[in-house]
Amino acid sequence: MRLSTIAACVAVVFCTSTFVAAPAWAQDPAPAAGETKSDKKTEDKWVALTGGDIYTGTGEMLRGATILGKNGKIEAIGYDLEIPKDAKVHKVDGMRVYPGLVAISSQGLLGNAGGEFDDTIDPFNSRMVLGLAAGITTTGAGSAAVKLKRFTVDGAVVNERLYSVFSWSGRNPRTKSELREKFAEAARYVREFREWERKVKEQKDLPEPKKSGVDGTVLSVLRGETLAKFNASDRDDLLGIARLAQEYGFRPVIEGCQEGWTVADELGRAGARVILTARDRRSKDEQQVAAGGTSIENAAILHKSGCMVSVTPPTEGVDLGGLEGRDIRMLTIEAGFAVRGGLPDKAGLEAITIVPARIMGISHRVGSLEVGKDFDVLVTDGDILHYKTYVQWAFVDGRMAYDKEKELFYAHIRPRPQAELKVDAGETPRGDAPKEGETKEEKPEDKKDDKPDDKPEEKPEEKKDEKKEDKKD
Amino acid sequence: MKKMKLHTTIALVAAISAPTFAGETMAIRVGRAETVTKGVIEHAVILVEDGKIVVVGEDLPVERGIPVLDRPEWTVVPGFVNCYSRLGCDSEGGDDNSPDVMTSDELWPKAAAYKEVVTYGVTTLGLYPAGNGISGQAVAVRPLGDTVEEMLLKDGSYVKIAMRSDSPSKRRISDAFKKIAEYDEKVAKAREKFDKDKKGGSKKEEKPEEKKAFDPAQDAKPEEKDAKKDDGFVPPDADAKLRPWLEMRVGAKRGLVTLGTAADYLHFMDALGTNEFAYDLRLVLQRESDLWYVLDKKTYELDVDGIGDKKLRCVVEPLLTVTQGTMRTRNLPHELHRAGAKVVFIPRNDSLPDHKAWLPHVGEVVNAGLPSDVALRAMTLEAAEVLGVADRVGSIEKGKDANLVFLTGSPFEATSKIAAVMLDGEFVHGEVNQ
Repeated sequence: MRLSTIAACVAVVFCTSTFVAAPAWAQDPAPAAGETKSDKKTEDKWVALTGGDIYTGTGEMLRGATILGKNGKIEAIGYDLEIPKDAKVHKVDGMRVYPGLVAISSQGLLGNAGGEFDDTIDPFNSRMVLGLAAGITTTGAGSAAVKLKRFTVDGAVVNERLYSVFSWSGRNPRTKSELREKFAEAARYVREFREWERKVKEQKDLPEPKKSGVDGTVLSVLRGETLAKFNASDRDDLLGIARLAQEYGFRPVIEGCQEGWTVADELGRAGARVILTARDRRSKDEQQVAAGGTSIENAAILHKSGCMVSVTPPTEGVDLGGLEGRDIRMLTIEAGFAVRGGLPDKAGLEAITIVPARIMGISHRVGSLEVGKDFDVLVTDGDILHYKTYVQWAFVDGRMAYDKEKELFYAHIRPRPQAELKVDAGETPRGDAPKEGETKEEKPEDKKDDKPDDKPEEKPEEKKDEKKEDKKD
Repeated sequence: MKKMKLHTTIALVAAISAPTFAGETMAIRVGRAETVTKGVIEHAVILVEDGKIVVVGEDLPVERGIPVLDRPEWTVVPGFVNCYSRLGCDSEGGDDNSPDVMTSDELWPKAAAYKEVVTYGVTTLGLYPAGNGISGQAVAVRPLGDTVEEMLLKDGSYVKIAMRSDSPSKRRISDAFKKIAEYDEKVAKAREKFDKDKKGGSKKEEKPEEKKAFDPAQDAKPEEKDAKKDDGFVPPDADAKLRPWLEMRVGAKRGLVTLGTAADYLHFMDALGTNEFAYDLRLVLQRESDLWYVLDKKTYELDVDGIGDKKLRCVVEPLLTVTQGTMRTRNLPHELHRAGAKVVFIPRNDSLPDHKAWLPHVGEVVNAGLPSDVALRAMTLEAAEVLGVADRVGSIEKGKDANLVFLTGSPFEATSKIAAVMLDGEFVHGEVNQ
């Protein structure tokens, strides 16, 4: 509770300051614009989304604002920004702009292989396109956090070691006592080590405390080097984890957490970071007197108690068979269910953006729209948690990675006005004049990203339009 | 080797006034010759002597006494070259890094498949080493012969390098260049020592000499070492596994890198980094191949040059693919050609029926847009380039081996059939009576 509030406050202050600063730049173009012009134009890649309602995630919503990206990072968010001449400008009036979503865990979005993603990522596979269509721009995969970067195998991995998994289960009670012992042992070692550190300054020959028998993983948890992750859903287990965490002073990551709402205060006190599925179903253990079973309010209650809540759909892969709406493509729908159960809208968005980013230790790069973070941005045609909403464009590291009208999957469902299905079937010779059907580039937001040399003369016009509109605002 | 004849041929040779044994001359007059290198020649006359092509031209007069095979209804093309085959080989390879393995060691001339592919117009075969790693060196053979020596066209042809989107594949490439760097260092040290020992009078050359020192030609042919070096410096021996890499680095040997997907290509480029060596690509076309993403750098703003930008030679099946998730046909061989890559065709599968259907399969790709001259080149000269035997086979040209395929019409016409096949100046298939 405390921490999330503080974080939110910091974020609000941060964002607000950005917006206050922005008009100042506009009035005096010297700092921002001057800099950009003196920079090497050929090297800096600028991208700007203008006119959209920007939901920053951690801060407030800015109606009809502009977000400017430089070399894959967010350079500025606000009004009346000076947009460099060579920027790729996308007019997204009437659309909403969101931070790219962060899936805490997924399978298959990065291709078939796993493990060392730098060496195995398949940036051309269609599940990645489906993931981007679902708004996911970063995902936990195995023990790494990886971005859905298309057309390149470079720089996709954001964080390589996410957490250490521990077992704590009433079904296998030995795991509990063993883990408790490990923590006790590691805590003893930490105490002795600190004491030794203090004393060794005077007594140089004092032997270092013995490390044998101390569990290295537990030790790194106590030292804050890695996060401890548990898979637990039973009330008793959750309570046990919460107390263990409070006793040894670490903040557990708990996946599942189905009966979390029954012990939410304890979990909140332990500062738990929760990964839950809002739609999970589980019946109450009738032999227990205490409350149990699942509740649609689980996410809301845990959030209210101060837990960081992130959601994940029932299955982690891209699953095109079976019941629709249960796989990773429905991340937003899952958050929607949590909101339905009482989670505030903003917390619903956070549950699939900044919270999973924090859990994975990558919130300095992704999870919200803030200056300096990665330009991972979604443009949608409505509230991202609404079932009807489609991601229209997804940008990853400042580069358009998904355009609904250009991919096969959803182009025909409520197409954008004036846009047509255009899929390169390989029939037009490369470099030749486009086919009749392809001369649709009148639409400004449809700026050619694949072929940047097409219609360069359009850019200045657009900028003029855009400036006019900004003035109106 | 010259006794190797099909029974049909034996009967027919008698019908020709003189069978073309080695040392004899024969003229062939056909309606049309698609030479690959010299364009299309109508009313072509080809003079064959000692198994080699001596003269090619339009309506050339033939000296009296030289037997003439006159077939104005035929079209002649160069013998086909399948540069990527395992026919007749049955070893199994592993995931090793063993570029020193020679496929010629498992060559078994008695394999029945060789006799059969000849009848389908295949007069040169490139046999590659089995295995998933860097599995060894291919061998170029003529598919007839009683002994390995008779079959051998070029031993130590391309080095087969399997590339996938995984760490071991990438590590094999980067490790190879690490080893090369280590060797370079070793040579530089040896050079330094040599110069120090020898500072008696000879001039001290530094950088250029150093570079010369890795010249694989010297490692490969010891007798040349002294010829090239006047100061007698002998570079230290390279490991057997390293030697092929040293040769590939300077282009004395080529690698053949097998890839399946666009991601494989990017990972290969990533593993290669700034290093370079001479290589061609073997692109394994699947029905839903996504290789069209990496044809050029521009279209999808890749970090690296595309296959077409680099003008790479690509060994592919004559296969029409579809855009993933759709039924939209793509002609990837044609797209490769348009992007600037050099296309090399191999049969769809390494089976005898697919060798038989090779020409019609390529015809399908031609029908879908690939220019027929490119397609023919892809079955002949470009394939010979992959094997490093383009100086001997792959086109109808003066001085080349008389490997010819006679067709009853234009090569990619569905009605055309192979009428006869000539290998080293000798008819090995077909009804050749005047």
